[in-house]
Amino acid sequence: MFTTHSRLDAVKPDPGMDTYWAGLDGGAFGDQLGYGYMNPNPDQRLLVQGNSSLVSVSVSPKKRKAADIKGQSLQVVSDKEKKIKGCSEGESRTTNQNSNNKEASTNTSSKEKSKISEVQKPDYIHVRAHRGQATDSHSLAERVRREKISERMKYLQDLVPGCNKITGKAGMLDEIINYVQSLQKQVEFLSMKLATVNPGLDFNVDNVFAKEIFQSSTSDFPALGCSSVNSVYYQLNSMDQVVSYCGLDMGINSAETGLRRSISAPISGPETFMDSSCFNQVQPTTNWDADLQNLYKMEFEQETLIPFQSHQFTGSNEGSNMKPES
Amino acid sequence: MHTSSKLTKEFTKKWVKGLQICCSSKKNMDVLERKKKIKLCADIALASAKNATTSWSIALISEAKKEGENEILVDNLLGPESPFKQQKTIPLMSACHKRVRSKKILKRSCSVGQRMKKMGPPKSNLAIYIAKTLVKKRTQVLQRLVPGGESMDEFSLIKEALDYILSLRVQVDVMRSLAHAAEVSNQSDPNVFG
Repeated sequence: MFTTHSRLDAVKPDPGMDTYWAGLDGGAFGDQLGYGYMNPNPDQRLLVQGNSSLVSVSVSPKKRKAADIKGQSLQVVSDKEKKIKGCSEGESRTTNQNSNNKEASTNTSSKEKSKISEVQKPDYIHVRAHRGQATDSHSLAERVRREKISERMKYLQDLVPGCNKITGKAGMLDEIINYVQSLQKQVEFLSMKLATVNPGLDFNVDNVFAKEIFQSSTSDFPALGCSSVNSVYYQLNSMDQVVSYCGLDMGINSAETGLRRSISAPISGPETFMDSSCFNQVQPTTNWDADLQNLYKMEFEQETLIPFQSHQFTGSNEGSNMKPES
Repeated sequence: MHTSSKLTKEFTKKWVKGLQICCSSKKNMDVLERKKKIKLCADIALASAKNATTSWSIALISEAKKEGENEILVDNLLGPESPFKQQKTIPLMSACHKRVRSKKILKRSCSVGQRMKKMGPPKSNLAIYIAKTLVKKRTQVLQRLVPGGESMDEFSLIKEALDYILSLRVQVDVMRSLAHAAEVSNQSDPNVFG
């Protein structure tokens, strides 16, 4: 690694190098590089003949890593790197320097990055081999772009289950497509299920669910004779079961705790009221806006479920409806 | 995962609110209609929970708004945020279209130039060409899947797809738990909903 650094410094001020690299024709340059790099490393052959950019990237890093462990190809790699860096440096100088100053700096920064991370080297080299006639700005921008894309692909691998083995761009995209499609179909199916499970009284489903959330927010469960509350309790137990055998149980757990924390906070006052197990009483709240938490609190405090109509959820109406209950 | 729990909470709140608004309008709906409403509410809630930070959410809401009857629902659900979204969509889409078109032209010219002047063996050319078309086809499919994906270049498409996957997961989680809870409550206490 150290040697490459020093070599790079040597390349920059050397005018001879410029002319040497500048003299190469675009096509010949590409060919030279392409074929030049084929021989010492069989990976390169794969790269040139290979499929898309990232497909070959996938193949070579593994092999390169394995080779590096052995320690044999390090010198070869470093030599190639020097050449590449020299080439790119030279080329950047052949074209318009003003426009390419920025790109050269990005190039050097990316080069330094690639020095640190072994994985980026093959991507780097691969771009070289493919370049052919493209001008500098395009190639550099493309290189940066591809690095970004490969970075995102890695993140996607963590996100999409079962993507660890596939490393090609096309394969990854395939997996992503499948996953998105399956998620969308699940949404459709679940919405259909929700539509059928409770014909006509979607409200109560929501109430029940909210009660469940509310119930879970309170840590203690007082002895309840109310049937509605018991049903809620059953649901909570079943929720735990769902959580345990759901594939995404981690997400649900965190979601639940998040919900509990979030919902329990603003209604800490009525919780103490709840603990006294006075379910007949209704806590007189003055500001009855359309805040959900308030609504669900009120519903929970009633003994029986009353099928609410929509107009009852406006502030003033609730007050008029609730008070006669107590 | 902190963001996903926050997203879950936001989504749940908005979805339930939307469902309440939805069910208030019509009393008797057949199953398919109800399903559509539920899904619509879920989608809008999901998109609005993002607070217009991602373009797929913006696209989703603008799509939903196109149908007249949904507009009221959407506006009610979104609150004061909706005018911002509407303003954002138009310049975003046009800019994206222009960018995509110019990029396509550039890519085409570059690729043609490269292919013509390349002296490599025809095998590599063909393989690369095939691979690139494969990738291109798949990106097209992904563009169709992700809402608002048509006007995105490859890189931002992947970013949007990532975000979309995360939110879809949240949506599925919440819906699944609700469905299960409703099912269980139905079984245990059929009189509750009588």
